[in-house]
Amino acid sequence: MEVEAALEKFHSLKLTDIMPRFETMPVVTADTDLLSVLKILRTRHHVWVVKDRESMELIGIIRYMDVVDVLLPPEAHRFKLGMTSKTMKSLLGGAAKAEDIAERHVLTIDGDETVLGAIQKMRKYRIQVLAVVEGGRLIGEISLRILIDELLRLLRVGGAQWKQ
Amino acid sequence: METVTWLLFAVGISLILAKIGDSIIERHELPGVLGELLMGMLLGNLVYFGIVGPEYLPIVSGEGFTTDMTVVANFLAKLGIIFLLFLGALDADLDQLKKTGITATVSTVLGVFVPLVLGWFALMEMGYPSREAFAGGVLLTATSIGLTVRVMMDLGVLKSEVGAASLSASVMDDFLGIALVIFAVGTGSLLELSAKIIAFFVITGVVWWFLVEHYVRFAERLQVEKGVLGMVLGMMFLFAALAEGWFAAAIEGAFMMGLVLSKLPEGKRLMDDVRAIGYGLLIPFFFVHTGAMLNLTVFENANALILAAVLTTVAVVGKIFGRGLGAWITAWGRGRDFLFTRENFWMSLQMGIGSVPRTEVALVDLMVAIHGGAISPEHAPEFIAATLIFITVSVLITPPLLKWAFREEIEITRAQKASAKVERIENTKKRIKELKGSG
Repeated sequence: MEVEAALEKFHSLKLTDIMPRFETMPVVTADTDLLSVLKILRTRHHVWVVKDRESMELIGIIRYMDVVDVLLPPEAHRFKLGMTSKTMKSLLGGAAKAEDIAERHVLTIDGDETVLGAIQKMRKYRIQVLAVVEGGRLIGEISLRILIDELLRLLRVGGAQWKQ
Repeated sequence: METVTWLLFAVGISLILAKIGDSIIERHELPGVLGELLMGMLLGNLVYFGIVGPEYLPIVSGEGFTTDMTVVANFLAKLGIIFLLFLGALDADLDQLKKTGITATVSTVLGVFVPLVLGWFALMEMGYPSREAFAGGVLLTATSIGLTVRVMMDLGVLKSEVGAASLSASVMDDFLGIALVIFAVGTGSLLELSAKIIAFFVITGVVWWFLVEHYVRFAERLQVEKGVLGMVLGMMFLFAALAEGWFAAAIEGAFMMGLVLSKLPEGKRLMDDVRAIGYGLLIPFFFVHTGAMLNLTVFENANALILAAVLTTVAVVGKIFGRGLGAWITAWGRGRDFLFTRENFWMSLQMGIGSVPRTEVALVDLMVAIHGGAISPEHAPEFIAATLIFITVSVLITPPLLKWAFREEIEITRAQKASAKVERIENTKKRIKELKGSG
């Protein structure tokens, strides 16, 4: 019963209420070298790539799984029509900066959306993280890790404190 | 057994052989599509030479082989082309293309039009009708950059000025090669065709700017399994139907819809699903089906070999000259003083050589031209043979030509690597000495 109530509350939460502080997000600028990106990915599942720290204009995202394309030698990629975009992301193939390997088409979600909306979008596109963007500027993120943390927090707090 | 049984058998055996052929050829660092074509050729000629009855391998049509099942197989192959072009467009990065410089743009245009015009006139000289000759020229327009990228990566020159310009130019000339086939297969007056093209672009523009985002949001709200994928493919087939009806070229619709969707992250996220359908089933079947159309008995007639020799020569020389000239006259944006330098000539030659290989788009254009009636059934076997030959030759000669053209850069890279290695060894020795000294 407690879990059901917690989930009900969890699903209706607004994303802006559970988004982490911006300073804690993994963000690099477009010209950051690949090795620095890889170092961040040792402990994080993704890295946001922005044009510069001032504008925070979102360029793309590098996800944990994208590292596979970076580490593979060029000859392991298939050079076929419709499959070439990933081949350019190989470290040995010449990729050197964060912008070289970032996925530029980032799925976003409105900060006013609910947690349920975010989970549905994640399932629909089989993705673990969504950007919250305002006028092209990265202002936050929602990842599965954040959602799990929030659910566990709700379960831990429990009772009247979260039922209000 | 029922005829459907043998169609299922043919699809099954085609897919298995396609993947094996792809793997064998890829191991030799050549485009896997050659392996798929070879396997198709093998299957097709089992029928043409009477070793297997046509009813057991209903992927061979024409010359009295056509049955209800071969019509179904033709349709499956056509779906393969549609998916190939849809996927190619979906994979495109239009933002990157916008950054294309003047050298890549000019060399693309000349790299497309020189082989097109040369091929067109050469085939007319050989006695082919103008429409068929034009279709022959269109086959020579689109470069397959995959092999060039691989070789340039191996040589460590992909990130060079020539490498970057080659990449942009090849993406653009794929677009042009796909677009030009409309003029080969399109019927009616030029005015009527132009009006249809304008209307098609207007419809695409409306979908691009006003509809596609709302359409995807609507698809998301349906909340059904693979709802977005199904709705997007539905829209893609509507576009393909429109293009087939207006230009006899369904690929144009699929390609445009792919481009429209490529601007959306949601569209990009569908690529894995589209790839699974495309490269798991329809696209390899298309290549095997195309290979199976090559009846080796066509070489009993010298026409096919002469056509192959002409198309191969124009494909190689026309591209090197056209794209090289385009790059040369821009002097790589370094002003007139650079125009007559050895470096400009050499870089332009490298650019031209990088554009030689042809694969997928040439085959797609060939099939569209045959099915759209631009190449007559009487001449189709010759064109199939000639196209497969110039594709094979272009793919085989490109790696050694590129190695020759980039030999100086390769030497410099080797020397740099060797000196870095020496420096590393010296530093290590020094460090060891210091450690010993302090010990």
